[in-house]
Amino acid sequence: MNLIKSTISIGKILHLNPNLTFNNSSIRRYAFKSDLKIKWVHPGKVSCVKPEKSGDLESMPEIDQSQYQLEYRQSKELETANDLAKKLFTLEFAPRYKTTQVYIRNTADTVRRHALDTGSAETRIARWTGAIRAMQELLERFPRNKRLKVNLKELIDKRKKHLKYLRKWDYKRFEWLIDNLNIVYKPPPNEFHWVTRKGSLRKLTQKYCDDLKAERLTAYRRQLESEQPGFLEEKIRSLEFICQEQKECGVEVTVTEEEINEVKRQLEALLKERKEKN
Amino acid sequence: MALPAASRSLLLLGECVPCVKHNASKFKIKRLELDTNLLMYFRKDDFVYAHDPEKKCKTGDIVLIEQLPQKMTRLITHQVKDIIYPLGDITDPITGKKVVAGKFRDHIEEVNQVYGKLPTAFDYGKAPERGWLEDKKDFTHVETYIKYHKFKNDDQPYAV
Repeated sequence: MNLIKSTISIGKILHLNPNLTFNNSSIRRYAFKSDLKIKWVHPGKVSCVKPEKSGDLESMPEIDQSQYQLEYRQSKELETANDLAKKLFTLEFAPRYKTTQVYIRNTADTVRRHALDTGSAETRIARWTGAIRAMQELLERFPRNKRLKVNLKELIDKRKKHLKYLRKWDYKRFEWLIDNLNIVYKPPPNEFHWVTRKGSLRKLTQKYCDDLKAERLTAYRRQLESEQPGFLEEKIRSLEFICQEQKECGVEVTVTEEEINEVKRQLEALLKERKEKN
Repeated sequence: MALPAASRSLLLLGECVPCVKHNASKFKIKRLELDTNLLMYFRKDDFVYAHDPEKKCKTGDIVLIEQLPQKMTRLITHQVKDIIYPLGDITDPITGKKVVAGKFRDHIEEVNQVYGKLPTAFDYGKAPERGWLEDKKDFTHVETYIKYHKFKNDDQPYAV
C-alpha cells in the first residue's frame, strides 16, 4: 500500500513539475565523477642524474687548460725544460680525466681541514661532488653511456647518504658544507608512490576545496572587520541610552562611565590602526 | 578521535618531526607494543602535538614534553619542557663536552692543529646557529612530496 502511495506521489510531483527531470549523473552512486573543471598536467619525469634532482646548484666550470697535470706539478725537471716540453704536460694535451682530477682536487681543497686531510666526511663529500659534476657534464654529451649513468646515480645516492649522516652527527658542519659546495639537501618523502591521474586529481581536488574554504573564511573575516567600527559606535550609543534611561527612571545604574570610555578607547585605537595601515 | 596511548602519560620523550603549525611542534613518540600471539614487542609510533610558540624545536631534536593541565586545542595536548638532544649538536652528559659521532670535538680540533689547520676549514666559533639555510639549501624543516602536477607558475620548492 505504501509503495503504491509513494509511486503516486512521485507521479504527482512529476506531473506538477515538468521541469523536474531526473539527472542520471546526480543519482549515480558508483564511480563518482567530479564536476570540477580541474585539468591535470603530468609534471614530467626528470632523470635522477640531472642536477635539479641531485641538488647541485652549479655545474663544472671551465678549467684553465694551461696548467700542469696533477702528477707533474712538483716536478723539478719540468722547471728546467723548454717551453714545448712544458706545454706537453699541460691539461690541453692530456685526456679529459686529467682535467676532472684537477677539478675534483680543487673542490676538495675548498673544505679540507688540513693539508693532508683526505678522509674526513666533508672532504669525501666534496670529492664526490666534483666527480658528480664532471660526470653530469659528460653524460650531457654521451646520454647513451649507461655505465656512466649507473656510476653517476650510485655516487649521487652515496653522497646523499653521507650528507644524511653528517647532518645527524654535526649539523653546523653540514650546513657549512652544503653552503660551500652549493648543494640543496631535501629529505626523502615519507612514502613513495607512482604519479597517477587518480591520485593527482584527488590531491588537486583537496587543494581546491582547501583554497575555497580559506578564501571564504578570509572574505567573512574582512566583512566582520569592516562592520567593527559601526558596531562599536552602536554599542556606545546603546550604552549611553541605557545609562540615561536608568538615571531618568531612578533605578540602579548598571552602566558605568568607565565602560563607555573603554568602548570609546577601543574605537579610537581601531580607527588609528586602520589609518596607519592605509 | 581517541587519544593515542602514549599521550596519557605525564612526561614524554619524543623526536621532533616537520610540522606546518605556527605555534606547535609535532613529536614522534616511540613505543613498544606487545603482540600477544608472537609474544614479541614491535615498534609503534604515536604522534603528539606540543605547544611551542617560538618554534624552538627543530626537526630531529629529542625533546621532553609535558602534558598540559587541559587541552589547548583538539590536537595540542602537551607543551615543550626541555630540548634534551638538539640534532647534530650532542653534549656528552658525563664530561660535558661536545661530541661528533664517536669522537670529541676538541680531540678532532687538536688533531687538526697538529697537522696545521687551514684557514678555509670549518670553524665552530664562526658558525651561525642552526637554521640559517632553512628554505634556502636545507629543506629538512618541511615534509617533501613527490611532484604530481605542473602548476601555472610552477614553483614547488618542497617537491622532489
